[in-house]
Amino acid sequence: MDRRPEVHRKMGFEEIEHTADRALRIFGIDLQELFNSAAQGMIGLMVADVSKVPLEVEKSIELAAIDAESLLVEWLSELAYWAETEMLVFNELRIQNLTATHLQASVLGGKVPELKKHIKAVTYHNLKIIKTARGLEATIVFDV
Amino acid sequence: MIDARDFEQLEKHLFEVPVSFRQDMRVPARFYADKELLKGVVADNSLQQLINTATLPGIVKYALAMPDIHQGYGFPIGGVVATELPHGIISPGGVGYDINCGVRLLATHLNQEEINPYLDDLATILYSNCPSGIGKGGNIKLKGGELDKVMTAGAKWAVKRGYGSEADLERTEESGCLAGADPGKVSQRAKDRGKGQVGTLGAGNHFIELDVVHRVFDESVAQRIGLFQGQIAVQIHCGSRGLGHQICGDYVKQFQKMITIYGLNLPDRELVCAPLSSSDGQDYLSAMKAAANYAFANRQVLAFHIRRSFEQVLAGKVSNHHIFQIYDIAHNMAKVETHHIDGRQVRVCVHRKGATRAFGPGSAELPSVYRDIGQPVLVPGSMGTASWVLVGTEASMDQTFGSTCHGAGRTMSRKKAKKTIRGATLREALEGRGILIRAGSMSGLAEEAPEAYKDVDRVVEVVHGAGIAKKVAKLKPIAVIKG
Repeated sequence: MDRRPEVHRKMGFEEIEHTADRALRIFGIDLQELFNSAAQGMIGLMVADVSKVPLEVEKSIELAAIDAESLLVEWLSELAYWAETEMLVFNELRIQNLTATHLQASVLGGKVPELKKHIKAVTYHNLKIIKTARGLEATIVFDV
Repeated sequence: MIDARDFEQLEKHLFEVPVSFRQDMRVPARFYADKELLKGVVADNSLQQLINTATLPGIVKYALAMPDIHQGYGFPIGGVVATELPHGIISPGGVGYDINCGVRLLATHLNQEEINPYLDDLATILYSNCPSGIGKGGNIKLKGGELDKVMTAGAKWAVKRGYGSEADLERTEESGCLAGADPGKVSQRAKDRGKGQVGTLGAGNHFIELDVVHRVFDESVAQRIGLFQGQIAVQIHCGSRGLGHQICGDYVKQFQKMITIYGLNLPDRELVCAPLSSSDGQDYLSAMKAAANYAFANRQVLAFHIRRSFEQVLAGKVSNHHIFQIYDIAHNMAKVETHHIDGRQVRVCVHRKGATRAFGPGSAELPSVYRDIGQPVLVPGSMGTASWVLVGTEASMDQTFGSTCHGAGRTMSRKKAKKTIRGATLREALEGRGILIRAGSMSGLAEEAPEAYKDVDRVVEVVHGAGIAKKVAKLKPIAVIKG
């Protein structure tokens, strides 16, 4: 049995085993990179070829939450919402302002003809952003 | 990781992790399994998740898991937790994102020989009439306050609109409508996600399936509920779509602050909860009921599309193309119920996360047509294998707060299933066994391969053996429709 994770180190995420749903381990040197990695990882689950997403729609996103973990769930939920309701995928992410409780970003993307995976929800399951020698790390479980 | 030394066998099919296993456990954690299923239970984090639920404030007797237990988020899938009112908690994550995901079983007056010449056309029409897949909306456009009516009246809204009959409602858990739903407790975003999705299947493990009643185990009960050997039946498996997903997400987020407010000491943030006696707890319950009603309406409209499809393909060609409802059950829900616990009648909030209510004979909550035989329990198996119809028992009332299993339960991750199984090959193999497939996504099909699931027959043998449900009939698929 091949247990090697699919590593996208350059992208800052890897998919890990989860029996019922999908899970990503995400990395970043700081919170901004971690949030970016998480979004790229989730988009990778949703879209077969990220390079084919057109860059024609821009949206401003502003979110607030009680802590960084909640903010991360909000951030990913926001992106998943547009994918579900409008088939809009944003893959150019410009996070302009980010603290543990507040995020301001401008995202660029476009409509895709189909999604390969429906992200029903982003869960808080065992979610904890931890400091490592390389920066920050977290594991996110998606309900699919 | 937990191993066999950490739990003891209480009965042939019942195991218990004692309350002393972890300091934060309030009650023991019990699970149903046999020797083979036990291997799966200890292979992932499902037992850890079950033990985590044993820490929830107000939990009574024990945290429970059915034999289809597998790793989820927060609760394990297959988990059952009852908390005592008034101050026991309700946990949105303990219900899950797909609120009132459930199963509806419809039956026909036809046998396989009668339907065989038209099966291919029927599968195609069902796929075309029943919207499925990611981002696919339904063909019902809800105007003005109509979504609110769906959320307050559930399947009754659908029947009023002509999508079914009173007989359908009578044969639906809670008559297809939970009282006390409040659309005012549902966010605008949840409403936006839900407004175009009434009467849609969605993707993932949701499906419509044509089945043949393969074997009847209890003739008299089967006859009472309307099943006979060789009969064609139809299953619908789906839930509250984006509306339910958003409601759960909204309240899991909102309840994060309860950790501080109530000084909760939780092993997992997904388990956030609020006392049912609090306004926060009541708000979630009212919103959850709104999603539950939406799901009942959703399955009711899908049943209408199925009837329409049968009419289109079979009218005038077979003796009787009409369809009647056997039952409709929820398997992701929290409900306030009264149970007999340690010699007293106790009001509890029973969370069933991937578990089915299985009330025994005589329960006042059951419709009069089924009250003396017990509640029909619908257990869909993995694609291409088998599904089961069971009935609730007195033992399920005594042992499991009137609950039993909900399906086969996964053993293989979706990631691995996709890597090892090709959708097109699987489709060919299933069609070679006489099971027609209409699916929007081949990779989605691969994720639902039977190899990725436990053996549903084994799961059913365990609940039957333990007495927490009784076998009535086994169904085998002949056509599967999914997104």
